[in-house]
Amino acid sequence: MSTENNTPKKKFSRRKFLTRAGIGLAGTAALLYFGRSPIRRKISGFTAEMDLPSGIMNFDAGMWFEVNADNTITLKSPKVEMGQGIFTGFAMLAAEELDVALDKIQVVHATTLNGAADLAGTGGSSTTTSLYKNIREVAATLRETLKLAASKIWNVDPSVIATKEGVLSTGDKSMTYAALAKQTTDWTAAKTPALRPESGFKYVGTEQKRQDLQDKVMAKPIYGIDTDLPNMVYGAVLYSPYIGGTLKKVDTTEAQKTAGTIGVFAYEDWVGVVAHSRYAAEMAVEKIHAEWDYPTKYAMKDVVDTITVGKGNEVNVQKHGDTEGVLDEKGSHFLQSEYRTPLGAHAGMEPSITVADVVGDKATIYTSFQMTNKIQGEVASAVDLSTKNVEVRTAYLGGGFGRRAMKHNAVEAAKLSKAVGKPVHLLYTRQQEFQNGYFRPNTHHVLRGQLDGNAKLVAMKHELATADMVLWGLSPVAMTVLGADFISAGHGSHIPYAISNRKATMWQCDLPIKTGIWRGVGMFANTFAVECFMDEMAHKAGKDALEFRINHCDDSELLKRRKAVLNMLGEKAGWGSAKAEGIGRGIAVGEDRKTISAAMAEVKIVDGQIKVVKVTQIIDAGKIVNPDGVRQQVEGATMMAMSAALFEEVQIEDSQVVQTNFHNYQVAKLIDAPQIEVIMHEGTIKPLGVGEPPMSPVAPAIANAIFDLTKKRLRFLPLQKALDEFDEK
Amino acid sequence: MKLNITVNNKPTTVEVDPNMPLLWVIRDEVKLKGTKFGCGKALCGACSMHVDGELVRSCSYPAQLAEGKKITTIEGLSPDEAHLHSVQQAWMDIQVPQCGYCQPGFMMAAAKLLEEKPNPTEDDIKNSITNICRCGTHPRIIKAIQKAAILKQQGQFKS
Repeated sequence: MSTENNTPKKKFSRRKFLTRAGIGLAGTAALLYFGRSPIRRKISGFTAEMDLPSGIMNFDAGMWFEVNADNTITLKSPKVEMGQGIFTGFAMLAAEELDVALDKIQVVHATTLNGAADLAGTGGSSTTTSLYKNIREVAATLRETLKLAASKIWNVDPSVIATKEGVLSTGDKSMTYAALAKQTTDWTAAKTPALRPESGFKYVGTEQKRQDLQDKVMAKPIYGIDTDLPNMVYGAVLYSPYIGGTLKKVDTTEAQKTAGTIGVFAYEDWVGVVAHSRYAAEMAVEKIHAEWDYPTKYAMKDVVDTITVGKGNEVNVQKHGDTEGVLDEKGSHFLQSEYRTPLGAHAGMEPSITVADVVGDKATIYTSFQMTNKIQGEVASAVDLSTKNVEVRTAYLGGGFGRRAMKHNAVEAAKLSKAVGKPVHLLYTRQQEFQNGYFRPNTHHVLRGQLDGNAKLVAMKHELATADMVLWGLSPVAMTVLGADFISAGHGSHIPYAISNRKATMWQCDLPIKTGIWRGVGMFANTFAVECFMDEMAHKAGKDALEFRINHCDDSELLKRRKAVLNMLGEKAGWGSAKAEGIGRGIAVGEDRKTISAAMAEVKIVDGQIKVVKVTQIIDAGKIVNPDGVRQQVEGATMMAMSAALFEEVQIEDSQVVQTNFHNYQVAKLIDAPQIEVIMHEGTIKPLGVGEPPMSPVAPAIANAIFDLTKKRLRFLPLQKALDEFDEK
Repeated sequence: MKLNITVNNKPTTVEVDPNMPLLWVIRDEVKLKGTKFGCGKALCGACSMHVDGELVRSCSYPAQLAEGKKITTIEGLSPDEAHLHSVQQAWMDIQVPQCGYCQPGFMMAAAKLLEEKPNPTEDDIKNSITNICRCGTHPRIIKAIQKAAILKQQGQFKS
């Protein structure tokens, strides 16, 4: 418990690395066991509803907290802040047990050397829910450890020591936490005490301003891109413009001679320049003459055709009853529809960034990334260092959205730094961010439904075709073992309603381009398909869309909560109320790791352009830690999902990604912003995820609203393109 | 070239390539990191700053065009942290930022808009600011600009 944030604590690291190796082995063993095909379906059901683990094993108070000389406390977060507000939530949780005022706790990013290792990375909307108890426990342990140290100095029993506002006291003696930390060198860790009852919470559940608000409004240098080291030089890299391209021939003569160039270095699939300024580095890259080898000429058609139900490897996701036996394709109560969603880009505003400083047998990596653990190992092997000699320091992220979990430029930066012997600042260009990252995979969905004579669904089947989002990043054997990425790409593909015969399968297809996680993973596309189809079935049954959904919820826990959220949508969003002229209204509901999120969208069409006027979101994410933090996430997810639903699409031509910048990848701007109302309902006593779940109902609610207004069923995204094509036919 | 500029009221001279984008001059030579790189093609507005009072997307503005000019970056928008510009105060009050990366550009665009239209309607705001945010802070940005207009008119703030 020293007073410095960045002091490496070597005595902890050996234990930390032992823990990590243990997890890796256990993880592989579990994959091999659970991957046996008869039980794959059970796992896929399990993964859909399981609580994601935090990936953090070390809860030693010394790895989490520093007591500072000014009697403030620093919490070293192994999870990263990318806008989701977790630092504020962490401070609130810690304050409940630490007995210091909330504004006396600062949360900073742990480095890989001074804090607890995080094996899972930040994502999956899992941070708050997975650490809700742990943060309070480690804070309580710190409090008790402080008491124990004070009890030795005062020669009293720790139980007679009270803590308040950062001060330890008995009847006649008192001392600040900082004064105690200053005179204590030999700490004995206390046992983790019982947590204080939640009914006594002082901060959790109250409105608190973001801890990073002032720094962000005053534009302090807090992001990876802002890293500036003495003697730092600038890198720029030429990557293959072709999918899967490798360097065939390269001439760097001219680039070497460009003003400001320090060195040009060619590797198997990239060429790097280091120069005295970024401008000089970029000018030199333009002078590199490179020819590329690449496997096949892929066109958009190849990408779309590859992802088709019936192709690839089929894995069952859900099976209940005799779905095929009940579906009666020739009867009048049967309906079949197909949906498609396109490749999507993250397009976060801060491009991939690394500053690497490789000196001798050590490397320090400054970056903004969701998975620092991954960078540490990959840099170590790229520049031949031992993992423990690579320190990764994460700054605030200028957006995450899943883009900063699987692919980074730290290896390139480290190699360039090693080559020139100086710290190198390396940034993706926007074009590289579009062309050399990875994408949300495109999807194809076939849905079949069977009604009985009483407007009730008796069978429903969803077949999904898509590509891998996460397995390539987990383990080389994961795809072989599991057969399909039902963890991420298949997420949300199951039929969540109480229908006696229901079945979901996933066709795992191979795309030539890298696809990966994207905010909400498969749930974004799957909820679009399933909830648009529910609307089609309701229409066919002649039922109100809300009532039809409620009629298919039973009293199982998740459906009971889904029903409650739908009822609130009916009452509070004004579903049944009169509509203004020219307004269409649609609803949808999604579920993501037990969070239920329902939305009502109101749209109009002006000169052929879809305008979303208002979105009302009802979210049951369980207990709420910071209400305005939740509102921000729901508003943000609504905007991002609306943008993807209306406009966004990545295209491929001649084995290249067509999109190079924001002029040909349209995203929502201020002019597209609807009114967004967020209504929160605490349906469980534990906090659940918030960042991704409200992405799920937005696209289907908008598509259903367009049907309400125009009677046109738009069955693919982006919806503006679907509407244009519908009108041309 | 030797570039003479006044940055946030401070006369500054730097030696740079005449075609280096003003963004990199400010970030890497003058060492003010508040202005951000987003797209490099003047499409997203993350690099917005004021040059002789005009709103400029500095990623696509060659250094030589700035010779002799007065530049205001986000660091110079407020006199100090105790006396915030109405836009920054409104951004605090409405709690706009999430990741926060695009916000300096939005705030510079908003400050310029309020100079031209002290009382903008929602449509004025939506039509004149074309910056990009991916976290989805759009509804709060619109509210914050309307609030900033009120704060500015109440005269509590200097600029």
